[in-house]
Amino acid sequence: MLESAVLARCPSCRNTFHTARTGRQDCPVCGKPLVVPEAPKNLIEQQGGTASAPALTPIEEPAPRPAGTPWERRDELGLWAAWTKTVSQALLEPGKLYSSARIDRGPAQLGFAVATGSVFLALGQILDHLLFARQREQIQLWMQQLSGSPSYPPWLQKIVESSSKSSILDTVLWSLLSPFMMLVFLYASAGLTHLCALLFGQNRRGFPATFAATAYAFAPLVFLVVPAGCGGLIGLVWCAVLTGIGLKATHGISSGGATVAAIAPYVLFCCAICALPFAVAAMVARRGAG
Amino acid sequence: MQTRVPSAKVPSLPSPGAAAPSVHALGIAAAGALVLLAAAVLPLDAPPLSLLACPLRAATGIPCPSCGATHAFHFVMHGDPAAALAANPLAALGALLLAAHCVLTALRLCGLRFAPSLPRPSRKISRFLRAGAVLVVLANWLFVALRGAL
Repeated sequence: MLESAVLARCPSCRNTFHTARTGRQDCPVCGKPLVVPEAPKNLIEQQGGTASAPALTPIEEPAPRPAGTPWERRDELGLWAAWTKTVSQALLEPGKLYSSARIDRGPAQLGFAVATGSVFLALGQILDHLLFARQREQIQLWMQQLSGSPSYPPWLQKIVESSSKSSILDTVLWSLLSPFMMLVFLYASAGLTHLCALLFGQNRRGFPATFAATAYAFAPLVFLVVPAGCGGLIGLVWCAVLTGIGLKATHGISSGGATVAAIAPYVLFCCAICALPFAVAAMVARRGAG
Repeated sequence: MQTRVPSAKVPSLPSPGAAAPSVHALGIAAAGALVLLAAAVLPLDAPPLSLLACPLRAATGIPCPSCGATHAFHFVMHGDPAAALAANPLAALGALLLAAHCVLTALRLCGLRFAPSLPRPSRKISRFLRAGAVLVVLANWLFVALRGAL
């Protein structure tokens, strides 16, 4: 038993906590077992006593906080430079990005994900409409040919049929709603990923860590600007990969655990996760079917 | 010689008397309110909701655990809990929890100084809870799959 509470650091979740006793105990944050050692004798002697020695920190001092991602340091880097650096790091050096991320910067991460996703979703919608305006008649002709085929799913038929009738006004109006859609998609994605992390015992540092991993994983949504749906597909796959890399870094878990926690939502909650591509298609389809 | 103990913020769940809600509480409430509003306003049999299709079901014929969630949210928002539970019990529960979170967050923004505080379970209990949660998800999936097969 210690004279007074000491500061201990969990080797699993890296959170610090106060404890008044030594020996084997569970981390109050992540629940993993750890051992708080007795204070070293020589240190106690240096402090002029044994029983009344002041509180010591038996485990190493907390590591300095990471500096923050470029986006979290946008005040010093400038908005544009911070955004471009964050996106390039997310796409090319995700390990570096996530190791510098601070989980207490939720508002900044939320802003990055919503801004990146919604701007490029809106741009993609407008480009898609402008570039494929002349192909609509051709699409309608294909539709008539394909509609008799039994292998052609009716829901896909509905989407393509409706999208060929949408106007630029609809596209702009629905593009204005994209920030709200991104907000919903971000929290749905983070929530489901965190739920899977909890179910598989991979939650070490709480929801803010999962949120940081998910928010920066939205960087590949810049590919939404590529028309005809190709960019969206690439972006979503890359997004899933980055979420796994992010979970590994922010929660401090193994590669296997991070992979399971990142992939499981796509398998278990197929409908919910796939809502975005369908919502995007629905945005374009609104006019035609309405 | 004085040994300095560095101060550290110990993460904890919100407790009674907590101040303003966190950014994530606000974000979840905002996203949840949008989802619930969409479920209340949009008809099930017209786009965009009628365009939603489960890729797993389309590919394999087996519904995913969240199949029926759109219907569950819709029925909860239209005051039909029986139909919501029949569509997807876990999603119906999720919609109710989301609605409760939205209301609580709005009240906290209006000055209510209360946030529900959950005790931290021990390692043994959390392992038990995790196993229970996995079983509940599997049972819900089985229910959705059997309902779809009938």
